[in-house]
Amino acid sequence: MTDKPSRRTLAGIPLISATIPVVCLALASQIAARPAQKAVPVPKFNTLVRPFFAEHCLSCHSSQFSSGGLNLEPFQKSDSIAKNSHTWESIVQKVRGGEMPPPGSPRPPAAQVKSVTDLIQGEIDRVQKQIKPEAGRVTARRLNRAEYNNSVRDLLGVDLRPADDFPQDDSGYGFDNIGDVLSLSPVLMEKYLGAAEKVARTAIFGPEPLKSSLTQIRMPRRAGPPNPTIPMEYDHSGLTLPNAIHTSYRFPVDAEYAPRVVLTGQRAPASEPMKLGLWVDGKMVQQISYDPQGAVSFPGEPQELAGLTATFPNIRIPAGEHWIAVTMLDMYEGLPPSYGASNPSKRPEPPPRVATAAPPTNATPEQLAQQQETLQKRARQRKASLANATKLFVLEMSGPYKQTKGPSLASKKLLYTCGHRNGQHQPTCTQKILSDFARRAFRRPLRTGELAPYVRLFKLAQSQQEPFEEGLCVAIQAMLVSPNFLFRVEHDAPASASARSYPINQHELATRLSYFLWSSMPDAELMRCADARTLRNPKVLEAQVRRMLRDPKADALVENFAGQWLELRKLESIKPDLDRFPGFDEYLRLSMRRETELFTAHIVQNDGNILDFIDGNYSFVNERLARFYQIPGVVGPEFRRVDLKGTPRGGVLTQASVLTVSSYATRTSPVLRGKWILENFLNAAPPPPPPDVPAIDETKVGTSATLRQQMEEHRKKPLCASCHSKMDPLGFGLENFDAIGGWRTQDGKFPIEASGTLPSGESFTGPKELETILKKDRNAFTECLTEKLLTYGLGRGLEPYDRPTVKHITRNVAKSDYRFSRLVLEIVDSLPFQQRKGTPTL
Amino acid sequence: MNLITGKHLSRRTLLRGVGASLALPFLDAMTPAFAGSTAPGRVKPPVRLSFVYVPNGIMMDAWTPKTTGKDFELTRILKPLEPFRNDMFVLSGLNDHQATPMEDGAGDHARAGASYLTGVRPKHTAGADVRGGISADQIAAQALGSRTRVASLELGCDDSRTVGNCDSGYSCAYANSISWRTPTMPMPAEVNPRIVFERLFGTADLTLDPATRSRRALYRRSILDLVHNDTKKLVRTLGASDRRKIDEYLTAIQEIERRITRAEKEDHELLPQMEKPAGIPTGFDEYLKLMYDLQVLAFQTDTTRITTLMVGREGSNRVYPEIGIPDPHHPLTHHRNNPEWIEKVTKINTFHAELFAYYLAKLKATPDGDGNLLDHTMIVYGSGLSDGNQHLHADLPVLLVGCGDGSLKPGRHIAYTPGTPMTNLYLTVLDRAGVRPESIGDSTGKVQHLTDMG
Repeated sequence: MTDKPSRRTLAGIPLISATIPVVCLALASQIAARPAQKAVPVPKFNTLVRPFFAEHCLSCHSSQFSSGGLNLEPFQKSDSIAKNSHTWESIVQKVRGGEMPPPGSPRPPAAQVKSVTDLIQGEIDRVQKQIKPEAGRVTARRLNRAEYNNSVRDLLGVDLRPADDFPQDDSGYGFDNIGDVLSLSPVLMEKYLGAAEKVARTAIFGPEPLKSSLTQIRMPRRAGPPNPTIPMEYDHSGLTLPNAIHTSYRFPVDAEYAPRVVLTGQRAPASEPMKLGLWVDGKMVQQISYDPQGAVSFPGEPQELAGLTATFPNIRIPAGEHWIAVTMLDMYEGLPPSYGASNPSKRPEPPPRVATAAPPTNATPEQLAQQQETLQKRARQRKASLANATKLFVLEMSGPYKQTKGPSLASKKLLYTCGHRNGQHQPTCTQKILSDFARRAFRRPLRTGELAPYVRLFKLAQSQQEPFEEGLCVAIQAMLVSPNFLFRVEHDAPASASARSYPINQHELATRLSYFLWSSMPDAELMRCADARTLRNPKVLEAQVRRMLRDPKADALVENFAGQWLELRKLESIKPDLDRFPGFDEYLRLSMRRETELFTAHIVQNDGNILDFIDGNYSFVNERLARFYQIPGVVGPEFRRVDLKGTPRGGVLTQASVLTVSSYATRTSPVLRGKWILENFLNAAPPPPPPDVPAIDETKVGTSATLRQQMEEHRKKPLCASCHSKMDPLGFGLENFDAIGGWRTQDGKFPIEASGTLPSGESFTGPKELETILKKDRNAFTECLTEKLLTYGLGRGLEPYDRPTVKHITRNVAKSDYRFSRLVLEIVDSLPFQQRKGTPTL
Repeated sequence: MNLITGKHLSRRTLLRGVGASLALPFLDAMTPAFAGSTAPGRVKPPVRLSFVYVPNGIMMDAWTPKTTGKDFELTRILKPLEPFRNDMFVLSGLNDHQATPMEDGAGDHARAGASYLTGVRPKHTAGADVRGGISADQIAAQALGSRTRVASLELGCDDSRTVGNCDSGYSCAYANSISWRTPTMPMPAEVNPRIVFERLFGTADLTLDPATRSRRALYRRSILDLVHNDTKKLVRTLGASDRRKIDEYLTAIQEIERRITRAEKEDHELLPQMEKPAGIPTGFDEYLKLMYDLQVLAFQTDTTRITTLMVGREGSNRVYPEIGIPDPHHPLTHHRNNPEWIEKVTKINTFHAELFAYYLAKLKATPDGDGNLLDHTMIVYGSGLSDGNQHLHADLPVLLVGCGDGSLKPGRHIAYTPGTPMTNLYLTVLDRAGVRPESIGDSTGKVQHLTDMG
């Protein structure tokens, strides 16, 4: 191979590749491209700043090496601050925080650091004050999958989630609702055509009759040693026992379904019939008793369960996603009396099997007693293992049967606005129904003549001797594939042929609001405000925002914003190594996710304090999670609020979901967790490592050296230290939580050491103290969350001209006691949300 | 969580009298067009193109044969392909130059994915202005796609909804798609076998009577006409960036109208010899095999002639518990010479090769014209990274399988001049399929020696 990338061979030093700094530089160059800030010579720049950089920085950040992608040579003049204020800001941050120069290099005196950084910061502040915030221009946004699903639900009263079958949406800036990134391929267009037909027919004629079929839901392998005892106290609901089946299942239509469970394993001889419970969304809806005794060939043998199927009676379940569980109720009851469990079986117990080994002929009584004891012990063990050997293997769901027929009342109400619901439509109804529908579908008043082609379609169907509803259906299908529905198009104001910003119109504002907070179309009330042109009245706007946040539809913020911000969406694809984490199962996975969703929903809907994300000392748990967190007194599958005072947990960083998505399958990674905090709490993502860096010796972790020792060794190299000096300590603060979020004090044979010292010199031990430090820097967190939520709300990446907006919002949120509603209101009020930049040429 | 498993396991041959449902519900498709007939006057089967991408590079020491020419010894990773050694070329010395860092810095995985089939350096951006090149498969699709009902098929095995941040300031689109229709339009890979099947053979309700079906077809045509006209009006009122987005929509509409026109000319009924899959199987081997099956089916029925399949998105973190590897793939490839990690990566590479052998076997077992599908298919198997540890894009692992139009003479290991652009290979491959673009990305000319016995 001759073509090796040159960067590897420069002086034999692998160089850190450019990443974040490059992004900063890219942004900076955009600033530079704007009318230049007036460059004023900065006093003392040449005498104070230049020598400092020459001594401490330039040996790595030179044109030759560009460590971390940063070459400081063009930064040796004071006017570069005006040109590249964003890059300078991050330089100041790193030098102030002690991250640069990296540990291992000579450290400049603190006083010098202060005077240099103060000088630069002063200039940055001056320059940034001159930056005029701009509204920016959001590209016409195609509805993403979540928005499409929600929009057709609210438009037609049909909750089919057709977009789940669409190709995945690409994301940019961490979110999948960015207009520039959302593209439309022919494949997707095909899906839109199919979905429009399906949705419209369902709304008008009712759900299409589905052929019933059988779906098997096999639980992933559950590892771990079986319970070696017959416990006296246990979860009688069976929900938290390892043999329960938990799954999230989508029922396609309102109908009856027939759940069956395939068993495997064994049950003790002559046990009474087992009791099985079927749970839907945390409530037991059916209980059956199943007797495997008939399958036993000889009375004394254990009941062999492999392949036996227990069938529940058909049950009616509404369409949509439901959490389904099948459990064994009263698992340790009904066993033979000799098992010593409560409520024993009344079936005659077969005689115990005789010991096969004859006692030695000349054994002493002690030996005989000992042998007897061994035999009894073995028998106890056998019983315990039999009592625990009953497994629920596969959930089979067949259906749908007796499907609900005809359109739903909700659909009829939404569609037949002329008031003739029972098929007695008048000729005038067509115009009325279609124009009302189009107005809602396009989220704005119709333009003159806009409806005519749709009415022509209706008439085309009529000319084919089709009934009224069929014509309606065709016209509605057409609207559902129109770009006016599929795209959120904002039209330039007539007087916008200049680069100036102008306020978007009332309906466009209503649309921005509803897709921001609900990931869906505006409802009737928002449309009324827009029609009445009152949406810019500050009182009306605030009241609408607060109403929307309290609405259950605001769950979309949890699912779509928090799901991506906190990386919760990753949770479903994570496969912890079951040999190392036998406690992990699907119930735990579902429970973890639910906890963080409920926690976030609490802050959203009750106008919570956003700093609770850092250290809120409450959470929401069910019995499964409470046991996992060692919180006593929580019984049952319902989630409830618990007080976490006195526990090591609090805030999302200590929630199992976040701890799991920031770990490897086999072990924790302080690096990943540190990176998670930097990215999602501080908006300071570190650059990725250069490819060929020395390894951590995995085999030693937990055996001959701790992970920490290994990593500290690693961090001695200045090249690594430059990033890891901040990332690793943050991550180490969470080391008491294992890779699925369980509490631990040991890793292998070493005690956990959850202390760290940040480059700034601040030290801490354990998660609580880490959170205290993070909370001290609350403005950094607030600014980070502001940037994320603003990006999500606008559907575009932030630009340098958005800096003043972000700072302004951050300040006001701080002044309002960090209320979530304040953050949302400030975003809604902001220039980029309210306005749009004109375009000089059409 | 995808828990829809089950019925796809059985692959009973279903020959339903009614024919199957259709890609667009109103499109009638065709029977396996070239199935095993040697009758005189039958058309020669067309050449199919298939690009199979494996992520994160390969352990090259266990890949590259020691000698070139005919009698090379199969290495550990290539061993599972033993039955096909006379059907394939091992090609060394090819580079993905556009994936190297240059001044773009980190992001080797994103660049590798985006440049592998395009030979174009993707623009370093996390969001706005995604820009790459047109990929080789799409160049072929634009030339040949109108001959089949589906111009090309893009498949993948990672649902990127569950993938978080993308590589070093590069948009996720780069690592997720090797196939690019235009420099700004990546083709999203479909990951759900059921949806792939529906795309190929449709979802239509065949219980409908022909009159209703034809009425619905009329409506759909009229709907497309309507929105087509509406959109043209809309575009005139928009600014440049908005217009670009709506243009995508227009292009998509036109593409579908074209397909309808094409389908209306056909009167075959299609009999897919496979039951519709229920969803994504839980085991990876089963999953990937199903994706290979679908490609075979698409070729066999001549529903498409061009496919791409990403065994993993570039930078994939898939774990492989089924072969005893619970660690995610990508971090493992940064093995830093740790022998245990190297072993694990080698196992993953070998596992992928075993599954690829399944695909080849299936193609070979499927009659096509006077031979089998493998005779008439060219498959490029490879990665945009060679050494994943160091992020190298030189001397890529590349296999070319099949005889194409019959002129290829496989069964050899050819070492090209180091640094030969990968795109040169595509020029040759497309040429054998009858597609002759002047260049592809950074190509400098066709590669030689594939048709001679040298």
